Amino acid sequence: MARRRKPRSPVQRVQGGFVLHLELEERELITRLLGEVRDLLMGPADQPLLRRMFPPAYHLADDGEAEAEYQRLMHDDLLASRLSAINGVTQVLVAPDAVLDDDALVGFMQAVNSLRLALGTLLDVGEDDDFTDLDDDDPLVGEHHLYGYLSFLLDSAVGAMSGR
Amino acid sequence: MAPVPSPVELDEPSSDQSIAADRPWIVLVWNDPINLMSYVTFVFQKLFGYSLEKATTLMLDVHHKGRAVVSSGAREKAEIDVFRLHEHGLWATMQQDT
Repeated sequence: MARRRKPRSPVQRVQGGFVLHLELEERELITRLLGEVRDLLMGPADQPLLRRMFPPAYHLADDGEAEAEYQRLMHDDLLASRLSAINGVTQVLVAPDAVLDDDALVGFMQAVNSLRLALGTLLDVGEDDDFTDLDDDDPLVGEHHLYGYLSFLLDSAVGAMSGR
Repeated sequence: MAPVPSPVELDEPSSDQSIAADRPWIVLVWNDPINLMSYVTFVFQKLFGYSLEKATTLMLDVHHKGRAVVSSGAREKAEIDVFRLHEHGLWATMQQDT
């Protein structure tokens, strides 16, 4: 019986850290997507695609004042953190042999997840969505495939970090 | 036995703020359709030092019950926990314990 060969994980642990096994096209694609999210982050703060990236901290109506204060103090820090993760990954992606330490891999996870949060919001992803029966006529079929690919990439990073 | 205290005139607290200030704050993570189960488990382990077993239990609580309390403590600590969860893209909020 034929056994399907398990695809090689794109994120692998090596001596001293982790490496990304990505084709040039993949590196260019991720770099381009990260650039788009960076532009989004640098734009107006009230864009719908950013909603998932900046959740409220105080969710109770009674804590409205505390929430306003929290956002006043912390919003820019969260923005800076997101941009820093994106910039770090962009630098790693131009160096195919780069070895990432734990912090760099966590930055990679955060940046890839930022992409997933924006794409998932765009696609209005639901809890039980199954992307195996996508309609090729769907105008967003490319974005659905991208979302699936980024999920695979993130899961691979988690697996490498957890020694799975 | 404790001696009977002599009556002392005390200022009534103007509100229950002094009592409320002692109640801990809890940090909640809410279920969402985007974040991966494996990633959420990893984030709980990394941020709070939880074992794989405890992190998995919390992740499953989030998944099945819609939310879970992942940490608690003073207000400042809760704010830091919420911020770090947001950095990782999780939907986290905080409230004072009831």
